[in-house]
Amino acid sequence: MKPGSLFLIFLAYGLVMGITGLAFYGLAGFSQGGTDTLITPDLQLLNDPYIIQILLFSIKQAGLSALLSVLLAIPLARAIYFLPRLAGRTLFLKLCLLSFVMPTLVLITGLVALSGRSGLLTPWLGEDWNLYGLQGILLAHIYLNMPLAVRVLCQQLNHIPDTSWRLAQQLKFNRWQLFYRVEWPAVQQTIWLLLAFIFVLCFNSFAVVLALGGGPASTTLEVAIYQALKYDFNLSEALTLAWLQFLIAGLIFLVMARMGKVRWLSADTHSQRWQPQWPVWQRHVYSAGYYLSWLVLLLPMIALLPSVIDARVEQISLAVMLDSTLYSLLLASGSAILATLLAWWLLLAVRHAVNVHKPGWRVLFQWLATHTLVAPAMVLSTGLYILLLPLIDLERWGITWLLLLNSVLLLPFVVSQIQPRLLQFDQQYHYLAQNLKLSPVQSVQVIWPFVRPVISSAFSLALLLALGDVAVFSIFGGSERMTLPWLIYSYAGSYRIAEAALVSLLLLALCAILVWLFERSYHRPVKGTAAAPRNSTSEYNKQET
Amino acid sequence: MSEGLLINRLIVNYGVSDLHYQLNVEPGECLAIQGESGVGKTTLLYVIAGFQAACQGEVLWQGRDILMLQADQRPVSMLFQEYNLFEHLTVWQNLILGFHDSVPEQALRQAAEQLLVAEQLNKLPGELSGGQRQRIGLIRTLLRPEPLILLDEPFAELDAKTRQLAAQWVREVALKENKTLLLVTHHQEDVEIVADRKWVLTGESF
Repeated sequence: MKPGSLFLIFLAYGLVMGITGLAFYGLAGFSQGGTDTLITPDLQLLNDPYIIQILLFSIKQAGLSALLSVLLAIPLARAIYFLPRLAGRTLFLKLCLLSFVMPTLVLITGLVALSGRSGLLTPWLGEDWNLYGLQGILLAHIYLNMPLAVRVLCQQLNHIPDTSWRLAQQLKFNRWQLFYRVEWPAVQQTIWLLLAFIFVLCFNSFAVVLALGGGPASTTLEVAIYQALKYDFNLSEALTLAWLQFLIAGLIFLVMARMGKVRWLSADTHSQRWQPQWPVWQRHVYSAGYYLSWLVLLLPMIALLPSVIDARVEQISLAVMLDSTLYSLLLASGSAILATLLAWWLLLAVRHAVNVHKPGWRVLFQWLATHTLVAPAMVLSTGLYILLLPLIDLERWGITWLLLLNSVLLLPFVVSQIQPRLLQFDQQYHYLAQNLKLSPVQSVQVIWPFVRPVISSAFSLALLLALGDVAVFSIFGGSERMTLPWLIYSYAGSYRIAEAALVSLLLLALCAILVWLFERSYHRPVKGTAAAPRNSTSEYNKQET
Repeated sequence: MSEGLLINRLIVNYGVSDLHYQLNVEPGECLAIQGESGVGKTTLLYVIAGFQAACQGEVLWQGRDILMLQADQRPVSMLFQEYNLFEHLTVWQNLILGFHDSVPEQALRQAAEQLLVAEQLNKLPGELSGGQRQRIGLIRTLLRPEPLILLDEPFAELDAKTRQLAAQWVREVALKENKTLLLVTHHQEDVEIVADRKWVLTGESF
């Protein structure tokens, strides 16, 4: 490996691991009494019934959320795959992406308007209905994650080559055999991956549980950490819970990284041209489910409209909204650029490990590159804040740390976007590139056209996710200017629900535009990748999260 | 000591068994390698090119063991069985890769004319037939400045007429540029046109 690449790898890993290390050190090293003793995790807390209850609830809600999201996604993905004439399929997949990246506060505002105490649908939901508690948390998590599962499963089904269907038809497979022999092998590992991925996302969920938890009975570790820090200022408890969360989610994530080999045919070589016909009744059931899903996914967004109509426009400062929009875009762009650069540098090590056939190192590098998926965002922010407060002027430098921290938190998503394409490049061309002895400039000239669409889509995704940040801004954001989510939060906090809905709609529109740009860049064909080498029949393994 | 390629008591792990190689190729010599499938022909080329590690032995080029060198430091130009062209670059952009200082544009175009692919230079590889792709890869591999050429079934996708044309062109260039050439092929006709001698791998130890 070239010295320049080594330097970038050290820099990137140093930064990413340094931030986590410093944050935990910040929490552990904080001393209320001014002594130099380190605060250590209080292991006695692990016997505390309240902590055990929180832990069990965290696992329960994350497990149920993952299971329900994937179970609901399977028939929907099959409907989209098997019924190519469904109206608005492409648009539906865009809506799925929008739902996944939609800022949580927008969804919560929509759900409250829809099925909160005085929601539009509440009178028809029965007397026992309560949005606050486990069912509200599950509802929000399903809204956020089921669309992701639909997209991933659709993508996976699309990689079943036509030849498999033709062969199955020729062998006169029945419905069960078609599913078991053709479909299941294509999606099996992805389903386990999705379950683990959604479990981790929901296990670390903060805003949803904080807003819809509704009391101590429905608290998760992340919220308990926040409460220990904010209300009790019990750093020892916060540290214990943080470690607990880090270990459990980290373990699941590690297992996920190890089993994360999905057999794909070359992503560029196959498009769906032929598939079996299904019985009429089955097509009708699938179609009905599909159109119902359209309605269900759109409902929380539509529910914002009546509140917006109620908004007293004269009370809303357009200047504040414009300023918040620009500020949000500026911060999100900075974080997204940094996250994309960091992801590229981190992946240099992963690619090298794959190229020299060191699977253990690949898993380790990949885990380190994306470990912030399991590190509690609240702990990272608070730990760093506590550490930095006496050392630097955070009023002045807070934005720098905000950008840095947000970039690191975006890495799991950016890395998972870019990694498959880079591994595909290496799988196809690593030997050729080495044999041709390409200079660094030539290497960039060769690889850039191949990865450009993925890089721009990863950047758009990072931008979308960064736009929704609340947690990091709440710690490092200055008091003078607000981002759009923070503006929603402040309106909702002062019971100005109509204004909150209006800003939510603005943020949603912004996200929708970015989703459109994301999809456009992702699906723009790369020159020459529509056709694979004609003598190539090799399959390859790709990592996907 | 040979100034060409000397493969000395080379042992390569191949799944559950080991492959053994002992070979001497004179500078400027063209050697055809034959043998049944799975006997280790491609593996040998990969070891020489630096894409597979050897367990024991030496691969000496001009008296120097090249096994310690990285793939991109070896004096080797190789044509793989597949993935010889970047699919997202045009044929011409592919052709001009792999030259250190100046690109011999004239020679590349002339070779393309000779091998009947001159009309394809502005296209993408995906628009070419398998045989055309193979000839493009062949042109670049032979015209690169590396002295040691490794060809892994280079004419597999060509029809009989084009196969003969390409084989003759390879022979001409190898002689003119004094290349040392190792060619893996199953066809006796290729051996007769291109090679000075043939070496049949049997998989037996030395």
